[in-house]
Amino acid sequence: MKKMSILITGLLLTGCSSASDTEEIDLSNRSWEDITEAAAGETVRLYMWGGDTGINSYIDEYAIPALKEEYDVTLERVPLDTNEIIQKLETEKRADQNEGTIDLIWMNGENFKRAKEGDLLFGPFVEEIPSYQEYYQAEDYAYDFGTATEGYEAPWGKVQFVFQYDSAVVDTPPSTLDELADWVAENPGRFTYPEASDFTGNAFIRHVMLGKAAEADELLGEPYEPLEEEQSAAMWDFLNQLEPDLWRGGETYPASLEELDRLYSQGEVWITMGYNEARAESLVRDGIFPETTESFVLEDPGSIGNTHFLSIPYNSPNKEAAMAAIDFFLSPDAQLEKLKPDYWGESTPLDQASLSEEQRAAFDELDRGQTVPDAEKLADTYISEVDAGYVEWIETEWRNEVAAD
Amino acid sequence: MKWQRTNGLFLLLLPAYAFLLLAGGSFILAFIESTGNGEGFTWSYYLSLFDRRELTDGLTYSIWITVSSTVVSLITGWLIVRSFYRLIDGNAKWLVWIPMLFPHFVWGYFVLLLLGQSGLISTALVQSGLLEDRTLFPVLVQDRSGIGIFITYVWKEIPFVILMLLPVYLQLPRQFREVNTVLGGGQRHWFKTVEWPWIKPVMFETGLIITAFIFTAYEVPGLLGVSYPQMTPVIAYDWFYSASGEERSMAFALLMLAAFILGACALTGFALMNKRRMLLSKSSHRY
Amino acid sequence: MKKNIFYMSSVIFFLIPVLLLILKSITAPWRSGNLPDWTLRGWETVFQDSRVIESMAITLGIALAVALINLIVGIPVAKALSHRSFKLKNTLEVLLLLPLFLPVIAAAMGLHITMIRLGLANTWIGVTIVHLVPTIPYTIKVLKAGYDRIPQDMLNQGRMLKAGVWHAFRTIELPLLIPSIRSAIFLAVTISAGQYVLTAIIGGGSVITMPIIYYPFLQSADDTVMSAFSVAFVLIPAAAVLIAEAAAMALAGRLFIKRRSIQ
Repeated sequence: MKKMSILITGLLLTGCSSASDTEEIDLSNRSWEDITEAAAGETVRLYMWGGDTGINSYIDEYAIPALKEEYDVTLERVPLDTNEIIQKLETEKRADQNEGTIDLIWMNGENFKRAKEGDLLFGPFVEEIPSYQEYYQAEDYAYDFGTATEGYEAPWGKVQFVFQYDSAVVDTPPSTLDELADWVAENPGRFTYPEASDFTGNAFIRHVMLGKAAEADELLGEPYEPLEEEQSAAMWDFLNQLEPDLWRGGETYPASLEELDRLYSQGEVWITMGYNEARAESLVRDGIFPETTESFVLEDPGSIGNTHFLSIPYNSPNKEAAMAAIDFFLSPDAQLEKLKPDYWGESTPLDQASLSEEQRAAFDELDRGQTVPDAEKLADTYISEVDAGYVEWIETEWRNEVAAD
Repeated sequence: MKWQRTNGLFLLLLPAYAFLLLAGGSFILAFIESTGNGEGFTWSYYLSLFDRRELTDGLTYSIWITVSSTVVSLITGWLIVRSFYRLIDGNAKWLVWIPMLFPHFVWGYFVLLLLGQSGLISTALVQSGLLEDRTLFPVLVQDRSGIGIFITYVWKEIPFVILMLLPVYLQLPRQFREVNTVLGGGQRHWFKTVEWPWIKPVMFETGLIITAFIFTAYEVPGLLGVSYPQMTPVIAYDWFYSASGEERSMAFALLMLAAFILGACALTGFALMNKRRMLLSKSSHRY
Repeated sequence: MKKNIFYMSSVIFFLIPVLLLILKSITAPWRSGNLPDWTLRGWETVFQDSRVIESMAITLGIALAVALINLIVGIPVAKALSHRSFKLKNTLEVLLLLPLFLPVIAAAMGLHITMIRLGLANTWIGVTIVHLVPTIPYTIKVLKAGYDRIPQDMLNQGRMLKAGVWHAFRTIELPLLIPSIRSAIFLAVTISAGQYVLTAIIGGGSVITMPIIYYPFLQSADDTVMSAFSVAFVLIPAAAVLIAEAAAMALAGRLFIKRRSIQ
C-alpha cells in the first residue's frame, strides 16, 4: 500500500516542476515562403465551440476546401468548449507534454488572459502573417479586454452589442438608458437581462456602468481599478429601480443568453440582446425568433464592440500550418465570406481603408439582412471594451447589490 | 490452506487496487490544488470558503434541495419496487428505465419545456380556457425554492432507485415468508425482521450516491435555479473556470470538502451495516 | 387493476416525455396561438456534421468496452467484499466509492496527467480507461449487493464438490447474479455514453464521441435542434443495452443447455 502511494505521487508529480524544453520555432530568420513550404501537406486542427450551425458550415463548407486550395493545408474542425480547451492545455503544460493535438484556438477576453498568464500560447507570431500586416491596424488590437495581446493572437472577427425587439408589439424602441427604463416601467414583465455571470448579461451591465457610473473615456485603455462606492451606486440604483418591472418582477434572471432568447422566442419578453449585430438573421430564418424581429442600439452610452481572435497553443504540432491557416482566415476573401448572412454573418476586423476599391465595394454592397442595423449607425455608437477586471468585479458586485436583495 | 485463501483474496482484490491507483491519483492532485497548488501547504482556501456570502447563503438552499430530493426519490422508488417488482421485471423494465438513458441536463430541459410559464402545460391550460393568462400559472421552474430542480431530480432518480432495488427484491428469500407465516408473524413482523434488513444496505448506498450526485452536479441547478441563492455546485463551477487562480483553488477546496464529508458518512454507515450483515448471513445458516 | 395503474403511470411519466421530445424534434418552435409547422431542420442539423454516424459508433464501442471491463473488474472485487472478511474492509469499500463523491471536473486533471504519463491521452483506449472511474464504483456496489444475497453455504457447496473456481462461478454464482449484472451493464453504458468533460479532456478532440458534437448544441434557444440531438443521442445507450442484453441472453442460453446436459 505504501509502495503504491509513492508510485502514484511519483507518477503525478514528476513533470510538475521541471522546466519545459520546447523545441521553439525561431521565427525571426524565416521568411513567409519557408513557413508556407513547411505548412504544405500538413493538417491543422482548429478547436472551437461547435454549437452554431452557421459557424460550423462556414468552416466545413467554405474554409476547409478554400484553405486546401490556397496553402495545401488540411483543416480539421474539432468541436470543444473553450473552458475545456484551456483546462486541457493547462494540464498538458503541467505534465510537460510538448507535442499536443491543438493547432488553433478561437478565443478572447478572460480565456485569453488565463491562457497568456499560464504561458499556454505560442508567439508572438502575428507580425509574420502577411494578411495581418497588409489589412489590419495593429493598434486597434493591442488589447483584448484590457490584456495586452502582444502578438499572441490574431483578430478574426468583430462583433457589436445590439438589442433585438419584436416590432409587432414594440412601436418605437428606446434609444438611451433612460428611455429603456421608461419603456420597462410602461411594459412591466417584458424585459430582463441575463445574470452577471453570463457573457451577455455582464456586457449589458457594462453598458449601464458606462452610462451611469463612469465615463467611457476614463476607463478605456486604463488598467482595472474598482469603482468608488459613490460612483458605482448610480449603476446599482438604476438596475435596482428597473428590477420590480422586469420579467418575474426581477425575482430571478435568465442564467444564460439562450434562456433569454427562449423567453423572447415564446413571447414572454419583447426584447433580447447579444453580441454580433447579425445574430438574429439565422434565428429568424429558422423560425425561432418571430419574423417581425428588428434591432436597435443605444445611442447613449453606445454599443460595446469586441474582437475575437485566433491563437496557437505552445505545443501545437504544426505551428507553420497554423500560421498559414491564420493568414487565410484573415484575408479579405475569407472575411467577406464570413460576413455573408447564410453562413456566420459577423463583421470583420479588417481596416477598410487598406482595401482596394473593388474589395471595399464587395463589402459595402453585401446585404447583411433586415435585422442588422446600418453600418453607419453601428460605427457611430461603437465603444471599445473595458478591462476584463471589470467583468469579474461586476460579477461579484451584481450578485450582492442586485440579485441578493 | 490459509496461505491459499489470503492469496486468493489478494487476486480477487487486485483489480480494486489497480482502480484505486487510477482514481486515487486524481484525488491526491485535487487535494494538492485545494491546499495551495503545491507551493507551501495551506488550509486558507477551505477557511475562506465561509467568508463568501454567496456560498453560505447557497449552502442551506443546496442542503435542503439535496435532502428533500434524495428522500422523496428513495421512498417513492422503494414503494414502486415493493409493489410492482414482478411487473417491472417483465416488459415494463424498459419503460421505467427510459429517463436513465437521457443525460440529466436534457431531463431538466424537458421539465423547463413542460412546466415553465410558457411551457406545454400552461399553454394547454390557456388554450383550453381554464387559465386566463399564462402569467397566472404558478412559477415552478427557476423559482426561489428550487421546485423545478427538485422535480427534475426526483423524476430522474426514481428509475435509478428502482434499478438499484429491483435485484434485491427479485432475490428476496421467499422461503422466509413461509417461515414467517408458520410462526404466526404478521406483515409488520415480516417487514421488520426480513425485508428491511435485506434492503437497508442498498437503500443506504443508493441514498448516499444520489446525495453525492445532487450536491455536486451543476447542470440541472444551472438551468433551473435562480440567480440568487445558487446551489453550491453552480458556484463551484463558476469558480473552477474563472480567470482567478484563487477561485480555482477554492473550487477544489469546496468539492474536496463535500467529498470528505460524504466519505465520512459512508465510512460510518458501512461500519455499522457490515457488522449487522455478517450477523444476518451467519444466522441465515439456520434456515 | 394494479397492473393498469402501473402501466398507465409508467407511460405518462416515462414514455410521454420521449414522445414529446420526438414531436418537438420535427416541429418548429411552438408559440402559443398557432399550430407548429413540421420541419426536418432539426434532423438535418444532427447529420450536418459528417462525423455524427462515426461518433455514434465510437461512443457505442467505448460504452460496450467500458461495460465489459466493469464486469471483469467488478465481479471479483464484489465477491471479496461480500464474502470475505479482512482488515480495512470498510475503508476499502469507501475508497472505492470516493470517485462518486468528487465531480469529474475536479478529477479530470489528475486523470489527464496519468494518461499523459501512460501515453494514452488522446486515444480511445485512454478514454475507455478514464470512463471506468465514474462507472466502476456503481458496478461494485450493484454486484456486491448481488453477492450479499447469495448465501455463503451455497458458495461452500460448490467448493465442497471440488468444482473449479470458474465452473462454480458459471453454474452457481452467475445465474444468481444475472439481475445485478444487467443493472450494472445498464448503468455503465448510460454513464459512459453521457460523459462530456472526461472525453473532451482525455480524448482531446481526437476521440469524437456523440456528446462532443451534441453538448454544444444544448446551449441554444433552438428547441427543434436540441430535441433532435437528444433523441439521436438516446439511441446509443439504448443500442448498447440491447447488444449487451442479446449477448447475455446468448450466453445464458448456452449455460442453460450445458447445465441440463450435465443433469
